[in-house]
Amino acid sequence: MSTGAFVLRRLGVSTLQLLALALAVFFLIRALPADPVARLVGQNPTPEAYASAKRSIGLDEPVTTQLGRYLGVASGSSGILQGDLGRSWVSGAPVGKEIRDALPITIELVTIAFALAFLLSVPIGMMCAVKPGGAADRSAFAYSLFAGSQPEFWWGLLFVYVFFSVLNVVPPPLGRLDPMLTPPPSVTGFITIDSILAGRWDALADGLQHLALPVLTKVFVLSGPIIKMVRQNMVRVLQSDFVLYARAAGLPPTRIARYALRSALAPAIALFGALYGYILGGAVVIETIFSLGGIGQYAVRSILSFDYPAIQATILVITAISLFVYLLLDIVHAVVDPRVTH
Amino acid sequence: MTTSPDTALRSPAVAPALALGPAATQRIRLRRALRGNPMLAIGSALVALSVALMIVGPWLAPFDPQSVVGVPSTPPPAALDWPRLVWTSLTGAARPPHWFGTDASGMDVFSRVVAAPRTDVAIALTATVSSFALGVALGLVAGYFRNPATELLMRASDLVQSFPVFISGMILVALAGRNVGNIVVALALLYAPIYLRLTRAEVLSQRHRGYVEAARALGNREIVVAFRHVLPNALAPAIIQSSVTIGFAILMTAGLSFVGAGVRPPTPEWGLMIAVGANDIVQGEWWPSVFPGLAISLTVFGYAAFGNGLERVYGR
Repeated sequence: MSTGAFVLRRLGVSTLQLLALALAVFFLIRALPADPVARLVGQNPTPEAYASAKRSIGLDEPVTTQLGRYLGVASGSSGILQGDLGRSWVSGAPVGKEIRDALPITIELVTIAFALAFLLSVPIGMMCAVKPGGAADRSAFAYSLFAGSQPEFWWGLLFVYVFFSVLNVVPPPLGRLDPMLTPPPSVTGFITIDSILAGRWDALADGLQHLALPVLTKVFVLSGPIIKMVRQNMVRVLQSDFVLYARAAGLPPTRIARYALRSALAPAIALFGALYGYILGGAVVIETIFSLGGIGQYAVRSILSFDYPAIQATILVITAISLFVYLLLDIVHAVVDPRVTH
Repeated sequence: MTTSPDTALRSPAVAPALALGPAATQRIRLRRALRGNPMLAIGSALVALSVALMIVGPWLAPFDPQSVVGVPSTPPPAALDWPRLVWTSLTGAARPPHWFGTDASGMDVFSRVVAAPRTDVAIALTATVSSFALGVALGLVAGYFRNPATELLMRASDLVQSFPVFISGMILVALAGRNVGNIVVALALLYAPIYLRLTRAEVLSQRHRGYVEAARALGNREIVVAFRHVLPNALAPAIIQSSVTIGFAILMTAGLSFVGAGVRPPTPEWGLMIAVGANDIVQGEWWPSVFPGLAISLTVFGYAAFGNGLERVYGR
């Protein structure tokens, strides 16, 4: 199979998966015994007020009609098939726009944290693998087991206490930027990139200061599993025949390490994709602590206020991004290791 | 996992023990396993402590964990005073102090921390046992009987696994009603596919072994072969996984109440306590959130270490 056919097939499967997910979420939230109308009209509404609120959000219609409008197959309405995610029942604004505003914040946080954790963990994991069972290996192993099983919301708070309340070296955990600062004009939605584009170095510095603790928290928790993964793969590769051959041929150790790293990372690429999707969906608590206003906080708000269109869209968008990253890394994997496509 | 696995059990030193009775052998095996495996020892101790507190925790609490019993935001006693205070409260000379201080509403933090395993650990254990039972049974069926129905089952499991776990947990609990029962059901459903997958893979590697053929040749019905013969041989991966799942379930239970989609106040629950304390930590009142967080941290680490130790004992 050529790489092109491989990508096309994977794209097709991912699209089907997303559609199945959209349907599952649609029916799941309607099957659960929540009453979104009561949330909208408040306590003790008159029957008329209740009925009109129910009509205004379209819950009085049969489920099939609701589904048709959600998907966009009913005449005269647009739905997810046309890329329209609907309007929020709480704010009345288009969900698509609200998500477009929130999403870059989360992606920025997750990507920076992921990249840093990766840069930190790969050398540590390699160091451990060179001398398995040594002192460095054992302490790194204990660390990865510990960090991989920690409540990140608690560590986030501890860092706030130490670095803000006691040392006062970071800004308070109240958002992505200082409220007194005018944000840079939005081009990409990523504060870091937008500040650089506009030459707003004050906004860049402030934005990075606000990101410091959330990123620190994420890196602390994330580096555990990555170290473990790199170490395991590396140990296996170092015992393989081609490394033995390279040693016998008298290649310098740094060169052997480079070869070994490449074949140790290739099988881990797919795992990184899964991990990225996992932390994207798990950004909820960290955003809540630091009030970052990303997609995680948006999810909390929508779920607690029973805002069905927003809930459906949030899950769909998060899963779509994880599938996309997954696919992207699979393609990278296929390019690095051509055996994958066969 | 580090160095060569399973050395503790296969070393020649264990061999003489095989001459003893099975009970003695097991005791020696256990001791060897614990000595060569400090993680398993630490993990077992923390796991035992968490289970013990789940059972007796609420009775150990010096104050009612669900009511206001003191001046709000009282800091814990100074470390130097602890020996004297322990003595006076043990001898009954004075009322016990608020060991971990009180929270912003005046509830005793220590009582709540030791009473909370009745919520956190109980939820995690029940949810894990349920997802284990569900996932292993379905995984056995999906691996042993391969037909369109089990193929459909696998696709359904894929679908559940493609959901973002934490957000799905929030949806299930918030929309079904924020109570303990719904948290257990949500966690059990979300974790079942892991067991399904692990067990199915193991069954696939077992189903063509000689003992399966033999059991079949003896005239056993397929369902008997699957459940009585294949199942016991395909359990190891799921058993190892369960310790990790309990830890994750505790993190999730606490995380859900931290964002407001879990149990309701004033239930003694670690995540809820951290959420309440989060408002005060910026002002420097660290004790209402630090102590419950420490409890989660140690407990979940305990289950992870225990799981890791099991993994080495099983030689995987």
